Amino acid sequence: MPTTAASEKSTRSVALIGNPNTGKSSLFNALCGLNARVGNYPGVTVEQKVGRLTGSKLSIDVVDLPGTYSLAARSADEAVAVNVLSGELAHQAAPEVAIVILDASNIERNFYLFSQVYELGLPVIAVLNMWDRVEAEGLTVDAEVIAKRLGVPVVCTSANKRKGIDELRRTIEQTLQSPPSKPSSAQLARAQFPEAFHQEAQKLSEWLHANGRKTSLYQVDRLLIDSDGHFQKSLCQSGLHEINTQIEQARERLRVAGCKVPMFETKARYGWIRQLIDGAVTRKETRSASSSDRIDQWLTHRWVGMLAFALIMFMVFQSIWWVAKWPMDGIQWIQGLASGGIEAFLPPGALRSLLVDGVIAGVGGVVLFVPQIAILFFFIAVLEDCGYMARAAFVMDKLMTSVGLSGKSFLPLMSSFACAVPGIMATRTIESRKDRMVTLLIAPLMSCSARIPVYVLMVSAFVPAIKYAGGWISLQGIVLMGMQSIGAIVAIPVAWLLKRFLFPGEPATFLMELHSYKWPSMVVIYQRVWERVVSFVARAGSLIFCTTILVWAACYFPGDHKLLDESVATLEQLQKTQAIAPVSLEQTQIEENQIREEQIEETLGEVNRLRSELIETSFMGMAGHRIEPIVRPLGWDWKIGVAVIASFPAREVIIATLGTIYSLGTGEDEKSQSLQDQMQQAQRPDGRPVFSLATAMSIMVFFALCAQCSATLMTIRRETNSWRWPIFSFVYMTTLAYIGAWLTYQFFESWS
Amino acid sequence: MITDSVPLPIEFLPCDSQGTIVEMCGRPCQVQRLEELGIRQGCKVRMVCRGEPCLICIEGRRISLRLGDSADIFVVPTVE
Repeated sequence: MPTTAASEKSTRSVALIGNPNTGKSSLFNALCGLNARVGNYPGVTVEQKVGRLTGSKLSIDVVDLPGTYSLAARSADEAVAVNVLSGELAHQAAPEVAIVILDASNIERNFYLFSQVYELGLPVIAVLNMWDRVEAEGLTVDAEVIAKRLGVPVVCTSANKRKGIDELRRTIEQTLQSPPSKPSSAQLARAQFPEAFHQEAQKLSEWLHANGRKTSLYQVDRLLIDSDGHFQKSLCQSGLHEINTQIEQARERLRVAGCKVPMFETKARYGWIRQLIDGAVTRKETRSASSSDRIDQWLTHRWVGMLAFALIMFMVFQSIWWVAKWPMDGIQWIQGLASGGIEAFLPPGALRSLLVDGVIAGVGGVVLFVPQIAILFFFIAVLEDCGYMARAAFVMDKLMTSVGLSGKSFLPLMSSFACAVPGIMATRTIESRKDRMVTLLIAPLMSCSARIPVYVLMVSAFVPAIKYAGGWISLQGIVLMGMQSIGAIVAIPVAWLLKRFLFPGEPATFLMELHSYKWPSMVVIYQRVWERVVSFVARAGSLIFCTTILVWAACYFPGDHKLLDESVATLEQLQKTQAIAPVSLEQTQIEENQIREEQIEETLGEVNRLRSELIETSFMGMAGHRIEPIVRPLGWDWKIGVAVIASFPAREVIIATLGTIYSLGTGEDEKSQSLQDQMQQAQRPDGRPVFSLATAMSIMVFFALCAQCSATLMTIRRETNSWRWPIFSFVYMTTLAYIGAWLTYQFFESWS
Repeated sequence: MITDSVPLPIEFLPCDSQGTIVEMCGRPCQVQRLEELGIRQGCKVRMVCRGEPCLICIEGRRISLRLGDSADIFVVPTVE
């Protein structure tokens, strides 16, 4: 999404950059309020966040760049940061000022990134954030001395307490109106690079110029320093393959000259930092274990940590069900009210059916899941912001390495238990491309919330209600738990196979900073939950909505509904008369009511029969009979077949589709005893029941393993920038589901 | 404080004890990454949680580490 605002002449643009966990989000919120625009950088899947600076007379866009430790451009995030800052991104002008956020309590390491940004040639503002920690940690930092030595404005802030924000705003305006003079080359950290490197950089720059490539000095440095770096790759992609040889030769000359690439860079930069902060920063020599350390000794303990994690997750999932119940009931009540209202005003017919069965059932289907999503994201945001999630990843790293992944894959998989869409998006944090791909491909196997209605319906209808251990353990509960974990269990060999054959390599190293525990910021949490809810409603929501309408149309057309509409009208009239009929003990009145009751029963039967006939002759019915041979080995009839196929765009559609097919209309949820009854009573042409335990188990295993979610597939497409991977996911998961369902059916058939 | 002169791999540092990084070796880009994160020669480091991965504390920052064969960090333990 190109930033249109950035291209407006009157709008100025500044960029925020800093290490992860330096309070960048808090500072962004403090500067821009809560009106950030979230999108993707053009051509890449890195999220772009742009906000408008509040409380300023000028119109200034603030671009929030991904958190990074260096501009070495190894991951997609870092490459975007460099490209944005150097104005190389298509359709996006370079920002006029770079605001570098530094953790004031860890100034030495944070100036590393600053030293790189400083070399890009943009006017820079240094923000010493988390200033409140400086005193708390027994540090002294002389910001004035640092500002003088650097020759750039230095502002001290505590973004979470909203301190220093006004001064930063004024500094941004001043810097935009009168940018400070560019630093001399002697002022930069690269001045401390060895002389041999400067000569090679000069040579390479001239060679690139002679080959028609305009590159900045910073890019030339990176070409020489980073092996197989981002700039080298992009130059190769642009057709300049000779660059590889040039770089190899230059590095060899540097090696002979005694310049160790890339180690000299960190030495030079830290040397520069040491001079910069010499005498301006003092730190207490040693520190005893902090309260964070004491908590960590338990929460990161191999066994205690694992137990604590299981307990926290159990509580989170339990509370999702408890808390989500109320808003979900409320939504269903409103949905019922809307349907009732339409039914009262519109006569039976296509329009009413479209509105009630299509639009309301569709919108309801979407909105119904919003409370669960919001609550889950709330907990995930709280656990992330207080610093716990990073500890959970640390604890799980050992388990993940056994299938060739690292602890970094754990967090995306965890979110996939709620919904695979945010889970797949969260794989962006994984640096190793191979690990990211494997994680992204197994994420849809985690049992998401959309599968639960299917399990509940099947288990309660077809698994015997046997209880063990004096009623404490039920067979139904065990089957439900088994279904919830089957995807994660199957994901283990799948991950191993993917890692072994498609993305071979050692498990990526696990290097992650765990920030100190802190109270979660409510503003940050609100923003995350809101962003996710909006994106869920907009992306997945529109899809479930459209699918429900398509399913409705396929089930409704091309049949003639005149007779059915007349029967429904008669039924409604009878029900209305019955409702207002006086309750009397007189024999005639009782008889009259009884006759009407029978008429209602008869008309209801007629309506159901007509619906059944219409569905048989609908497009959906015709398709169902075609696919029956394919689904028969799984123990399914054509109705289950079409219901499963209709639910390929979104799993939860099966409930509505089965309801429609079994002549009960849409809106039958899994708790509806009548849908269960219909399913239990349904017979095949030869008189055998359609559903048996084997059929129900085979349907559940199919749902546990199948890629029935187009929102997930579209997200895979977006995140991998290719159609290949969603197709791969779809094929492997559907094959797995079909084989799994067939084996399950065969096993239970021979067993029963 | 007395400093033991024998360097040992960081994962051998006992829990809650301190040491000074004396050498880092391995794949150059991995070592560079560690240095960017502030893990570099001369830094004082404290072991918070041993094992693979381990949790170390450098200048008040906790960093989890599992480097495998890609890099080695050697420390000289500080004996108090």
